[in-house]
Amino acid sequence: MTAPDDLGALMARVALHDRAAFERLYRATSAHLLGVALRILNSRERAEEVLQEAFVNAWNGARGYNPSVATPMTWLINIVRNKSIDTLRSGAGERRTTGALEDEALEVRADPHLEPQHLLDASLQRAHIDACMAELNAQQRQALALAYYKGLVHSEIAQLMGAPLGTAKAWVRRGLDKLKECLGARGVAG
Amino acid sequence: MNLLQPERLDRLAREYALGTLHGAARRRFERLLREAPLTMRVVAHWQQRLGVLASSVPAVQPRELVWQGLQQRLFAGPRRASVWQHLQGLLAPRVLGGVLAGVLMAAVVLRLQPQWLDLETRAEALPQSYVGLLVSDSGQATLLASSRRHGRTITVKVLQPIDVPPGQVARLWALPRDGAPFLVGEVPAKGSATLPLTDSAEKLFFTVARLGLTIEPAGGDPRAPAGPFFASGHCVKLW
Repeated sequence: MTAPDDLGALMARVALHDRAAFERLYRATSAHLLGVALRILNSRERAEEVLQEAFVNAWNGARGYNPSVATPMTWLINIVRNKSIDTLRSGAGERRTTGALEDEALEVRADPHLEPQHLLDASLQRAHIDACMAELNAQQRQALALAYYKGLVHSEIAQLMGAPLGTAKAWVRRGLDKLKECLGARGVAG
Repeated sequence: MNLLQPERLDRLAREYALGTLHGAARRRFERLLREAPLTMRVVAHWQQRLGVLASSVPAVQPRELVWQGLQQRLFAGPRRASVWQHLQGLLAPRVLGGVLAGVLMAAVVLRLQPQWLDLETRAEALPQSYVGLLVSDSGQATLLASSRRHGRTITVKVLQPIDVPPGQVARLWALPRDGAPFLVGEVPAKGSATLPLTDSAEKLFFTVARLGLTIEPAGGDPRAPAGPFFASGHCVKLW
């Protein structure tokens, strides 16, 4: 991935509707963003639709991007996640439901390293907050991971984990509190 | 209940950023985000924190057709795009100086107004849009408003000239099913106009049931209508 300051420079040019910069921004970020959408939507086709939609928004909304509020990658991830979540919940993708299972979706399920809790562990290690976050129990971690990577809501998490709704909410809340605390301790987004 | 109470705001912001806030509550919060930019800061803090969790998600290269489709949607129809690419490949690197390239670019950009191309490529079916036909108290069709589902402008056509006294303006308001009206923009007394939206039509009008027109003093409070609605109508999804 391009260094963050490069993305910032690209965003500034995209805000001026520089098409070449827009293509570079797309090339630098689209694979990572598709990965995020794919984890939520479990379908390459739907994820790619969301990705395209997100970049239409990015092009049209780049002028509203404020570098003091979010890094370009965070800004883009946020657009992609929101669109993925909206698509997931609107059931829009189901209009194309066929009998055939999608390869990509199967792959996602088959590879344990793509499971939410593995993604969470790997991300925490990268951010060097794994030791701090280890204070969370397995259920709290899993609840947070399901919400973030799969776009699930509290009731779905509760159902999946066989817990009462209030308990699932508390797990997620605890996970977020701890994340804030651990990042704050490292001086990141505190 | 005050949404702007710091603790409550932080709870909503993090649930929104994480995605666990859903349904009508999510839409209500999105409206709050638009209306109270300060709340965006709180959300952004959470998005930045949660962004850390995305770092390990494996990248998946999108198919090239995603980029091609994106270019078509934003910049050009397929035929013209290839002509443009052809010209660019032929001329830009070697022959053309900056000035000529600039002139060419300007000409092409002018020719490739996306709205023209949308009309061309989608002429057969009406595009997915939000549409409102506002009728006056006396039953006369007064204003037609339409906005493409994912567009960021709304086009209004005044069907019956509006009597706007000097120093006053006609304002178009959106009335969500479960919230306070919000200002869409000022409409002309007659003719047509295209008004910018603060967000995509989908975001803004998803929960809007009706549209209404008021006459009020110019420069009035954009947060609430100052006069009664003299014309109104349903806001419908055209798809």
